Amino acid sequence: MAGAAVLRRSARRVARQVAAAHSLSRSALQQPERLLSSQASPEHGPRGAVSGSELALYPPERVRNFSIIAHVDHGKSTLADRLLELTGTIQKGHGQPQYLDKLQVERERGITVKAQTATMFYRHNTTSQDSDGQKYLLNLIDTPGHVDFSYEVSRSLAACQGALLVVDAAQGVQAQTIANFYLAFESNLSIIPVINKIDQPTADPDNVKEQLKRLFDIDPSEALLTSAKTGKGLEQVLPAVIARIPSPPGKCDSPVRMLLLDSYYDEYKGVICHVAVVDGALRKGDKIASAATGRAYEVLDVGIMHPELTPTGVLYTGQVGYVISGMRSTKEARIGDTLHQAKSTVEPLPGFKPAKHMVFSGLYPADGSDFEALSHAIEKLTCNDASVSVTKETSNALGMGFRCGFLGLLHMDVFHQRLEQEYGAQVISTIPTVPYIFEYGDGSKVQVENPAALASNPGKRVVSCWEPTVIATIIIPSEYVGPVIMLCSERRGEQLEYTFIDAQRALLKYRLPLKEIIVDFYNELKGITSGYATFDYEDSEYQQSDLVKMDILLNGQPVDAMATIVHNQKAQRVGRELVEKLKKFIERQMFEITIQAAIGSKVIARETLSAMRKNVLAKCYGGDITRKKKLLEKQKEGKKRMKRVGSVDIPQEAFHELLKVSNSK
Amino acid sequence: MLRLAFPLVSHLPARKPPPIRPRPPPARRYAASATATVSSSTSSPPSPPSLPPLSPSSAYVHLPFCRKRCHYCDFPIVALGSSSGTAPSRGEVADDPRIVDYVRLLLREVAATRPVSDDGVPLETVFFGGGTPSLVPPRLVAAVLDALRGRFGLSACPEVSIEMDPGTFDAAKLRELVGVGVNRVSLGVQAFQEDLLRSCGRAHGVEEVHEAVGIVTACEGLQNWSMDLISSLPNQTEEMWEESLRCTVDARPTHVSVYDLQIEQGTKFGQIKIQLLPPVTGHIHLFCAPQIHVLVQFGYTPGVFPLPSDTESANFYKIASKRLSEAGYNHYEISSYSKPGYECKHNLTYWQNRPFYAFGLGSASYINGVRYSRPRRMKEYAEWVQKLEDGTWSHESRSSDMKDMAMDVVMLSLRTAWGLDLQRFSKSFGKSLALSLCNTFKPFVESGLIIAMDMERQALPHLDFELDLQNEGDLGSKVAFIRLSDPDGFLLSNELISLAFGVISP
Repeated sequence: MAGAAVLRRSARRVARQVAAAHSLSRSALQQPERLLSSQASPEHGPRGAVSGSELALYPPERVRNFSIIAHVDHGKSTLADRLLELTGTIQKGHGQPQYLDKLQVERERGITVKAQTATMFYRHNTTSQDSDGQKYLLNLIDTPGHVDFSYEVSRSLAACQGALLVVDAAQGVQAQTIANFYLAFESNLSIIPVINKIDQPTADPDNVKEQLKRLFDIDPSEALLTSAKTGKGLEQVLPAVIARIPSPPGKCDSPVRMLLLDSYYDEYKGVICHVAVVDGALRKGDKIASAATGRAYEVLDVGIMHPELTPTGVLYTGQVGYVISGMRSTKEARIGDTLHQAKSTVEPLPGFKPAKHMVFSGLYPADGSDFEALSHAIEKLTCNDASVSVTKETSNALGMGFRCGFLGLLHMDVFHQRLEQEYGAQVISTIPTVPYIFEYGDGSKVQVENPAALASNPGKRVVSCWEPTVIATIIIPSEYVGPVIMLCSERRGEQLEYTFIDAQRALLKYRLPLKEIIVDFYNELKGITSGYATFDYEDSEYQQSDLVKMDILLNGQPVDAMATIVHNQKAQRVGRELVEKLKKFIERQMFEITIQAAIGSKVIARETLSAMRKNVLAKCYGGDITRKKKLLEKQKEGKKRMKRVGSVDIPQEAFHELLKVSNSK
Repeated sequence: MLRLAFPLVSHLPARKPPPIRPRPPPARRYAASATATVSSSTSSPPSPPSLPPLSPSSAYVHLPFCRKRCHYCDFPIVALGSSSGTAPSRGEVADDPRIVDYVRLLLREVAATRPVSDDGVPLETVFFGGGTPSLVPPRLVAAVLDALRGRFGLSACPEVSIEMDPGTFDAAKLRELVGVGVNRVSLGVQAFQEDLLRSCGRAHGVEEVHEAVGIVTACEGLQNWSMDLISSLPNQTEEMWEESLRCTVDARPTHVSVYDLQIEQGTKFGQIKIQLLPPVTGHIHLFCAPQIHVLVQFGYTPGVFPLPSDTESANFYKIASKRLSEAGYNHYEISSYSKPGYECKHNLTYWQNRPFYAFGLGSASYINGVRYSRPRRMKEYAEWVQKLEDGTWSHESRSSDMKDMAMDVVMLSLRTAWGLDLQRFSKSFGKSLALSLCNTFKPFVESGLIIAMDMERQALPHLDFELDLQNEGDLGSKVAFIRLSDPDGFLLSNELISLAFGVISP
């Protein structure tokens, strides 16, 4: 299969690095550290408390670190709940479902945005020589499922040695299944396929097994059949985890070295880091340092998530838990960073990358006077989401605001939703854009995160422009192939693969400019496939493109917040559409308004909004002016909500509407 | 509190009114159009809008009776039905008890209303509005006038106006009204086309219009009368509008009011619209269900057929301004035209933000700086009068602040051709407010929607206006007045005034 081959090639590249890292640690002595930490409490607490001495009973060979990966709604969260119940980590029927999805946005959308970990104690009874069973420490590392967070996922997976690949028995393999599989595969994880929801009447596990074989070369006999809903087949899951997933490699007698998986900001405790201890042991009172920032901290608290913060005073090699170390902001806790014993030089764990921002948009208060409120909300939210980049910017139309960089579309969307839901902020966001690169004749190069910042008439020749692309995977019932191919070609896509994953369903792989999918691509895809399409993508390289900056002018004045960068061949069409949309949403004013789209000094689309004819209340009868005054006051309030460029008032709706202007059609 | 008991209003003696001479044209004169009369006006200006003096010298009296409700009307009225036609006007038939009862209430309200001051400022204007006041028997009108005279005093030659509808009066009735002191008639003609009259629910036809015009023009002792027209009626064409204006000019009224039709909610023309809009999809990950769009509509939408488009109806306004100016009428207020000296003194009270009494159902008074609208339902109004008599009602002391005051002044004065007196305005509300107002209006002075004038009411070129504004400490060294231009500025008065509101109360 051509596409799989492409993926495997890139997988190999990454896999080589990962393997190198592993071989290094695997060669090390795997002797558990059995020394009791002085800080560890000698007794079990009354409920859920775990002592450091108890953790010492779990050397790496008694530890399994794994995650669950799945397409959205294939049952990942329910399976996680069941495993937590099976191990007595949470009580059945207590606590809310989707235990690990803590944010409102996660629960509403059925997605995972932040990584979570949960430590479970499990007695494995099937070992022949020990009738009492062996106790194991199982760490479930819940990772985001979406491609926007693929870096975060890769870091979470780097702390695992195996993954449960959950596939819906009726829906079969979907786009995200494929993406997640390859992420796990690239991380050299042992994969346990779990065909879930077998209780459904339309379940067809054999077909799914077939797909797994065909797409991933997974032996059908390896698949576990479960229903997380009814509990059927669940008893096989944890034994399979212990049997098939290797224990974490690591040097117990080395200075401590750990991987930072994710972090949270807690109002009372400060920054809480989720970590996986790779080498050595971490104790309360230890001095640790960050490999990325060089800053040093003292370990104030350390423990496991069981399932909430449970202090143990120590974490041993291979174990996963949390650390509180007096970090002031999650910006200091970079995902993928290596935390290590201070004053010792260690080799940082591989794979650390600073957050890569692929989608940018301007965020402005919906009401100009709310800047301070928005600023405060963004500050608080970025405390918990350090992967957003925020810089202040000012727009002639929208006033003071922020340019925010996001990992991707979903990330941006989630950020907006959290701003509104958790902080009550009302925002206008500008058309999302991607980081373009413009190269000029004088050899200078600029990365453009805000189209308005790009000179409309730079006074020097543009030699080349580059735009980021993605490799998109789309899985659809075969009758929709035609329209989807149309859509992708309208979006300047290049077909890389077209295969069938079973008798009914096709898999399409396209290289698409990132810009083309950030506005309404998914909606349109869902629309033309009656909701059946699944879609995922991964970042790919930059490609050279014929790009131009398009300005929107109102009475000759450019509206900076409406500037966009478009493909030259689409400029005319997009310009027309923007201009027409604006004409619809800008109300007539006391003068004529010309609405233009221009590239440099060349106008490519133009509409004229004629002046308002009349707005007069003739009646003012019997001296009763109160009603008339109310009307005029209402009119005044209406004006106040407008954004103004030059003398033209622009309703806020116009900015919202422009977001909906598609690149196609 | 004095409580007048009228056992039978109809037994009131028809007091002989003082003889009323043709009213001399008032000395006040308004600049009608920016170009023509701005420079020619030499007479002293009317007292410009400002904080209200203590004692009102105007009274509005609401007589709410109509034969039926017109399709565009949302005033507080009482529809009497077809029984009350022209016939009873001669008094041969017994007065409608609803009218008698109402006038009794009115008289009680007048009697229970304390004059604002004891300095004896008499009423200069009385306005009987409606409704259709001409349906009220003249001796009941006389009774109200008498009560007003008794309570507040009436000046030597007051302006006493009454609204009359064609088909509701004859020559005798008009004579009778003039006999009791009425000296100004506002004739509700509205249109000169049978179809238009019918389609907007008027209770009269074109024939009655001509008849009424005949009666009014033939009436001795009545020199001052106004013709009321409505533009932008359903199915109205430019030809029809020109015809109405021609007929108006031919009838030679001293005053013309031109109202642009407003579609009000709750009227036949403005029936409720039910509109289910498609669900809003805010997030890119939401899949949009098939859109539902239900629209139920019975009434008219402004600017949509059969109503004239905005362009057409703006054109009607311009045509009226042109034709009436050509015929010698001054366009002294957004919807009012008059022959020189025949401005409606009563309405000037409103535009100049001066106080006035009001009596009757739903009427609005402006006393001691407080605007009060009476209940619009008869039962509630009656209860309110009772409370007034019992002394158990008082104005809610919602003192209007300076901002409100300033907005009133701007809103009212900019309706007039006289415009806003900037010096008075800065004196009352501060120089900086006057200055920011001017700055906001700058582009519109340039585009001609607003005219800036000097002390002599000479229009200033916009560059002079801007220069004057730069001279901050000395606003008004040149600029003394600003007004909306005729017709373009008047046509956009709402926009311009709400802009000013934004300056006064940001």
